[in-house]
Amino acid sequence: MTADKGNKSARVLREDDFGDKLASDPKLDTVSQKRIGDQLRAMYDDLVQQPVPDRFKDLLAALEGKGAETKK
Amino acid sequence: MTLEPDLRDDLLAAVPSLRAFAISLSGHVDRADDLVQDTLLRALSNLHRFERGTNLNAWLFTILRNLFHSQYRKRRREVEDPDGSYASRLTVQPEQGARLDFEDFRTALSTLPHDQREALLLIGASGFSYEEAAVICGCAVGTIKSRVNRARSRLSSILKVDATEAIGSDPVIRAALHTAR
Repeated sequence: MTADKGNKSARVLREDDFGDKLASDPKLDTVSQKRIGDQLRAMYDDLVQQPVPDRFKDLLAALEGKGAETKK
Repeated sequence: MTLEPDLRDDLLAAVPSLRAFAISLSGHVDRADDLVQDTLLRALSNLHRFERGTNLNAWLFTILRNLFHSQYRKRRREVEDPDGSYASRLTVQPEQGARLDFEDFRTALSTLPHDQREALLLIGASGFSYEEAAVICGCAVGTIKSRVNRARSRLSSILKVDATEAIGSDPVIRAALHTAR
């Protein structure tokens, strides 16, 4: 697969790159593409920015330095 | 298997994006948090399989995605739901932690088939490349591309219809639209 080339640098998608990829869809006009992309990222960023619930900090703290083979 | 502080920090740093993906995928904050917790535990017990220096996030997303799919299949077997009405009732429930501003979009997103929704989320929101998304979903790059395209088209038509309905309730605009036709 020729896809390997972009793989290393592609982890952080730049806006420009993303725009190019969006433009490759012939069915959607650019305005709709951008609108959907913006809404999707806004919704997602809102979720990403939520504080991490304590249960995850507690879980990882409890597992640190001891066996992780048992559940909870 | 011990959890080193560095790795613990990396895992903790991955939690916000894992949660965002899980919430968007499942439509439920509680279920999403269980999914993230299962993902972390699964990752810890499979740490020997993780290649240091490769993308930890992509590996975690793969685990989460696979867990989600096996749970979803299991759930579907348990709940007899031939016409999908139970599933649709689940996905439109308002959730604590889900902001109201995005409700239309989230509702539209929840109507997409799973494979399209996850592809769109990985590419359009989580910032993975098409190649990484293909590895995460265990399919070809071309499959991811076509799923993302279909997801966008479908969202676009759903949201457009909604917008037209909202505008259509205004008599002046409705008259204008009518004339324009």
